Amino acid sequence: MLRFTAPRSRGRVIAWGVLLATAAALGVTRWIKASDHKDSALLAADPAADIADVYTFRSPVNPDNVVLAMTVSGFIPPPEASTTFFDPNVLYQWKIDNNGDAVEDLVIQAFVTGTGGNQVMHFRGPAAPSVTGATSRVIDGPETATVRVSNGETPITASRHGMTVFAGVRDDPFFFDLVQFKHIIAGEATSFRNPGIDTFAGTNVLAIVVELPSAQLGGTKLGVWGTTSRPQF
Amino acid sequence: MERIASILGPLSLVALGALAAVGCEDAYAPVSSPGVDASVLMHQELRQEDRFGLPAIATVFIPTDLKDAYNEAVPAGDEANFKSLIVAKLMAFGQDAGSANALADALTPDIQPIDVSQPTGFLNGRKPDDDVITAELHLIFGSNAALNDDHVDANDEPFLATFPYLAGPHVQ
Repeated sequence: MLRFTAPRSRGRVIAWGVLLATAAALGVTRWIKASDHKDSALLAADPAADIADVYTFRSPVNPDNVVLAMTVSGFIPPPEASTTFFDPNVLYQWKIDNNGDAVEDLVIQAFVTGTGGNQVMHFRGPAAPSVTGATSRVIDGPETATVRVSNGETPITASRHGMTVFAGVRDDPFFFDLVQFKHIIAGEATSFRNPGIDTFAGTNVLAIVVELPSAQLGGTKLGVWGTTSRPQF
Repeated sequence: MERIASILGPLSLVALGALAAVGCEDAYAPVSSPGVDASVLMHQELRQEDRFGLPAIATVFIPTDLKDAYNEAVPAGDEANFKSLIVAKLMAFGQDAGSANALADALTPDIQPIDVSQPTGFLNGRKPDDDVITAELHLIFGSNAALNDDHVDANDEPFLATFPYLAGPHVQ
């Protein structure tokens, strides 16, 4: 599925450094799927549930707000930007630990209804989940906010109950010279190039972004992670 | 469906269709739109398929045969189940046991920590423009200048100053 297949080794094989030989032998090559794009065979076949990245940051507009962003379905090429959609069978969640025990105290949930270019993303929470851990349930409504999924350049946003929301296709915010890293791991190079070349330049992701008052998250020291879940049937 | 029927009972199908059409044109769909009840996720046990805390770290340290198990696991079990793998790999990268353990402690559980009372910058949260790969290469490869920086310092597109912050898509 990766669209930037590195060229095959051209002739001379540069001697492997001990460090990199060790790294390759131990599986650093897994990083070629970095950041978390298509990080297992199972998820590569399920892009809409495959989390590429999660971002958590204080709002640059309002320092009382926190912004949570999750990207999925990495490596969407420009021709497919307007025709790649969220999966209605996937629950997208941010899990928030506000007391340091690595268990979610609050969740913010997002899921789409609709198909094709007419999807609506529904947001619930932040609220305590009825069940924690690897099993999830949609928390009781009503929705905190809903927004039409953006399929084009202009972002459609909505604000309600103090939360501003967005869902749709965006430029992949991740940047990394993945191609050179692959050359290094393959023993075809011994260092990064300078300047490097961003392998993720020109590719898109599906993004879900929310901004809300930090006070709604029940503390100032938080731990955040993103999850995707599906029905078990 | 019963609830929808009771709400929409008085309306003709034509009126319902008109409502739906209005909803589709509106950037802000009604809070109790019929679509919510149509979600296949309602009242279901949902099983975790993927998770994400710290960028790239899990990908580096978790071997392929454990990848799905890791993705389906909860952070609270990370120290018990995965820390030893991280320590071993860091030591294979040349770190001594002490520093490998200290770094592995910082990487488990696999959660993105943030103190929202402080300015954000990886590892206090993660802004889109944070050069997390170079930060992590530094953590892993230390002063090895050939490997501790990929020299890609910024995104290909400028981030927006306002919500939703991420740059618009590349289209044809």
